[in-house]
Amino acid sequence: MANPRSGNPVVFIVLREMRTPILVLIFVYALAIFGMALIPGRNGEPMSLFHAFYFVMYTATTTGFGEIPEEFSDAQRMWAIVCLFCTVVTWLYSIGAIIRLLQNQFFQRAMEELYFIRAVRRINKGYYILCGFGDTGSILARGLSDSGIPGVVLDIDKHRIRALDLRDYTVPMPGLCCDASEPRFLIDAGVKSPRCLGVIAMTRDEEVNLKIAAVSRLLNPGIKIIAKSASAFHEETLATLGRDTHVVDPFKVFAKGLGAAIYNPRLYILNEWLSRAKGITLTTRLRLPPPGRWIICGYGRMGKEVYRVLVGFNVDTAVIDSRNHEDDIDIYIHGRPTAKTLRAAGIDKAVGVVAANDDDGRNLSIIINARSLNPGVFMIVRQNKNQNEIAFSAANVDIIMQPSLVTARKILFLLIAPLLKSFFSYLVKKHWQDPRFTGRLLKRLHKTLGEAAPQLLTLELREDRVHALYRAWSQGGEIRLGDILRDHREREETLPIVPFAIRSVDGALCFLPDDQVVLRPGDELLLCGSETALWILDATLNNEYLLYYVVTGRNLPRGYFMRWIRRKLEGDEALRWPRRPAVV
Amino acid sequence: MNLEKVIFGFFIVMALTLNFGFFLGEMDNPQYHNVYELFIVIVVNLIATGLKLGDRTQIGAILLSTSLVADLQLIAAALYWTLVVHVTKTGLTPDVTASIVSLNGGAMVANIVSVVMVVAETLMLRR
Repeated sequence: MANPRSGNPVVFIVLREMRTPILVLIFVYALAIFGMALIPGRNGEPMSLFHAFYFVMYTATTTGFGEIPEEFSDAQRMWAIVCLFCTVVTWLYSIGAIIRLLQNQFFQRAMEELYFIRAVRRINKGYYILCGFGDTGSILARGLSDSGIPGVVLDIDKHRIRALDLRDYTVPMPGLCCDASEPRFLIDAGVKSPRCLGVIAMTRDEEVNLKIAAVSRLLNPGIKIIAKSASAFHEETLATLGRDTHVVDPFKVFAKGLGAAIYNPRLYILNEWLSRAKGITLTTRLRLPPPGRWIICGYGRMGKEVYRVLVGFNVDTAVIDSRNHEDDIDIYIHGRPTAKTLRAAGIDKAVGVVAANDDDGRNLSIIINARSLNPGVFMIVRQNKNQNEIAFSAANVDIIMQPSLVTARKILFLLIAPLLKSFFSYLVKKHWQDPRFTGRLLKRLHKTLGEAAPQLLTLELREDRVHALYRAWSQGGEIRLGDILRDHREREETLPIVPFAIRSVDGALCFLPDDQVVLRPGDELLLCGSETALWILDATLNNEYLLYYVVTGRNLPRGYFMRWIRRKLEGDEALRWPRRPAVV
Repeated sequence: MNLEKVIFGFFIVMALTLNFGFFLGEMDNPQYHNVYELFIVIVVNLIATGLKLGDRTQIGAILLSTSLVADLQLIAAALYWTLVVHVTKTGLTPDVTASIVSLNGGAMVANIVSVVMVVAETLMLRR
């Protein structure tokens, strides 16, 4: 291996530390054996070297079988006493040296790294490197595991790595406690491996995220990089890292979602449903407040984004914060959000309150205050810490915004469904033309999937992914999208799958494609369906007999003999795939 | 209904039933085990093997291997029979008969696996 640190350090350290004990051991043994072989026994003859070796072996380990092969002379016994003391002491010294080495924290650290590197190398499919295993990281790791994608976790906190070891993921998820921004650890995590699909930097520190992103880009120019960031400066720098670098700002993502909720509530429901948010079904209706005054408590990163969205929709907005600001805001009340400042902001006639502080206790108290002053008000609250979940769900507010959850969902969608972003832009555009469009899509999804939990799948039509489809193509077959979405157990039934988008090799996008769309090699499909349906689809696309059945409605004979009979009886055409109509 | 499935199922099931018929009876008594029955068992098994050739699926591969196991065991039994009757002329002594029938028993297990797999695969379909 080119990397001198891989594999060798542990062996090297052991050899170096054990050098003296081993030399001492050899010397003492040799001396004891040699002496035993020289000293005359009862019959005047000394022991043979073999017997002397045998005696010292069992004496040195304090096994003590006795005087073998025959009774010793007194001279031999005196030497035996010397042997016993010397060899036993040497043994204790050597074992002590090993134990000392095992307890050495640097040695333990080297072992951990070695195990980690081996575990990473053993992952046999594409994986992502997750830097940071906090709330976001653990939600994301769970999501990746559910989608069958392995990950490699780096976190600076050893308690988090220990927590990782106890999780029951269905895919390999090795972890190492280290500073992920150090290039050597990223290399240990396999950033240069061809199986590494991308690096996700989501530590608490934005500087660290930036450094991870930059180092990863330098080490492997081809991979996807996703960095969590909520400051304009970092986002600008990240944007210079080139193609396939994505920035996830939890507050921007949420503000966008909030904008969608105000502008087109159904789009918000669709997004929440795809994220499998608790208590959201396709028939859920968002109870939006009537137009009126909104109050934003806390003008930090979240407050600013929400303010921008609300003002963008021409909503009358008041802000309460104790900090000074440079932005141009109509109603800005200085001070902490108390009953007094809330009244000053017009809580009695307000329709919505946003508690956007980075302190959970303060946000909870805003809820209680606001509710006592205006019980019917619509409430959006920011939950900063995952462990406060019980308190927030007891508060019974309308929307809980949890930055870690928002980030994790957004990143997961970027990883497993890259086409989803364009699909949502398409839905937004469609909404301009026809406000009922999203509603119809939700109805269609509900009709197709029922109450089943949705699963998104990005299906790339590559030979290793869908080899039956490639076989059909190689025989000149023409396969349409509607064909493969039939159930191979009964082709008259269609699978509960709604295709969201198709991207062909030349980059052309087709949204909500209908059944007549012809599939071509290299197409990328974004599908939404139940887990079972996607599993059945996978089976169809990898079994040419099932594929032939769903496409033609006839059974392809499986054996040579039956195929021969069919060809004799019905001619060659009976076994062919449907062909492309001749170009006129 | 699919004629191919009928033919396929027919031979697979008949390989098992004939095999069972030969196996039935006192193990070391040649009176219970007919040489023509063994002949037909081998022929039907070979036909079943032939029908399984050419299937490119995983299940097809396992089906073929069960058939090959059955063929191997049945042909071994037939060879042994021929050997004791025509070459060594010792005839069908009880221990020889027991060996032949036990080889048949092994082939029958392979045939049972084959039938179970065909039935299971068919049950997965809703058509």
